[in-house]
Amino acid sequence: METNFEFRKQVMDFHIGSDVIKYCYQCSRCADNCPVTAVTADFYGTEGYNPRGNILMALLGYKDLLLGGDDLTIWGCTVCDTCDEVCPQNIELTEIFTFLKNQSIALGKGPEFIFSQAKAIFENAKAIPSQPAIERRRDQLGLPTVSQPDVNEVQTLLKNIGSDKKLK
Amino acid sequence: MTEYKMFEGCTIGNRIPFIEASSRKVFDKLGIETSQAPFACCPDPTGMKSFDNDAWLVMGARNISLAEAEGKDIVSLCNGCTNTLRGVQHQLKHDNLKKDKVNAELAKVGKKFKGSIDIKHFVDVLKDEVGMDKIKGAVSKPLSAIKVACHPGCHYMRPAEWMESDDPLRPINLKKLAAASGATVVDYDELALCCGSAVTNAYEEPGFLNLKTKMDSIKNSGADAIVVNCPACFQQLDTRQRDLSKKFETEYNIPVLYLTELYALAMGYSPDELGLKFHRTRLNDLLAKIGL
Repeated sequence: METNFEFRKQVMDFHIGSDVIKYCYQCSRCADNCPVTAVTADFYGTEGYNPRGNILMALLGYKDLLLGGDDLTIWGCTVCDTCDEVCPQNIELTEIFTFLKNQSIALGKGPEFIFSQAKAIFENAKAIPSQPAIERRRDQLGLPTVSQPDVNEVQTLLKNIGSDKKLK
Repeated sequence: MTEYKMFEGCTIGNRIPFIEASSRKVFDKLGIETSQAPFACCPDPTGMKSFDNDAWLVMGARNISLAEAEGKDIVSLCNGCTNTLRGVQHQLKHDNLKKDKVNAELAKVGKKFKGSIDIKHFVDVLKDEVGMDKIKGAVSKPLSAIKVACHPGCHYMRPAEWMESDDPLRPINLKKLAAASGATVVDYDELALCCGSAVTNAYEEPGFLNLKTKMDSIKNSGADAIVVNCPACFQQLDTRQRDLSKKFETEYNIPVLYLTELYALAMGYSPDELGLKFHRTRLNDLLAKIGL
């Protein structure tokens, strides 16, 4: 296990509130209140999704351990933001988990769903593109046509920041 | 009341438009005026944000700039969209470097994020601007025959720091609003528990175990229906409820109503007008109880 200092700095710098991560004293309120930990952890809490462990590993700069193993380690998070609310140190855990997920994607790893949604957004500027059958249903329900976004403009924005290169 | 830009979002607009139908009917009845704008995906605070936070910021800021150009606040029908737009605004307002970076990108397509408008969830517009008295006044057929359990979902009130809507762990707004329909609101232990939509998309096993915890708790409450204010939660509880029943060989059969569907029924709209037949979990027993 090796500390990756660059990664550690990135964790600290990611977000306005993220430097409070260093005040984490591993009390485990996040894991105790995590709905995914509740259904994946074993009796000793050594397996399954564990937000407390992720914060510790991020703080220690253990990039390989976090990003190199089972995807569930990071992607088990269901983004419910409960941990943010119960943390006694006001650490915005979910923002740090966002950084970890972004890093995982940059390595080409992560759930298929995330890649397919990003692709749909890149191609249509919508996560769910308009379909003729739904348009007809909207019409039957007396709804106006959905105002169509400027797909080219959104693609330009995403290409300019290199987001398209992360797609599979 | 001022006119809002309507942010129906991808899921409601392009997959389950019947929710927009009830919302527009209820808005009309209560005097909430809206107009459309060519908004793109918000984008998803559980999906696209996890994919690339910078992409999430720039797309979110672009959407906000469209409403800003008209000087109008946004009303969102979806927890996720509200959470993204408020979250983007929060990050950019508290980080000038990030804001300059995003605006440099937006300038290339002739747009600018200022942070000059408010983004509101429709639940907050109902609660704060319409008010209970007006809602109760618009109810012509009180739903006193039914009991409902509320599920406000995560992103309506969490993170509290930028959602600023309700108690993050003991939410009450949806319960109060649902009661205005005349229905009896029942409590249950797992009120603040996530529906698990995001994790289920990636990992079915823990996703369904979480959903079971939620649904068992609702079942024990004796509710005839679940009231929600988010399309992702709606789909998780409505569509995946059948798969859950099969997986665990337990009958749930608890229909899910959007808050605006509950209101529309209480205001005398027919199930046909609202497109209730497009729900996956059948509403027959519920509708029979309210005499429809």
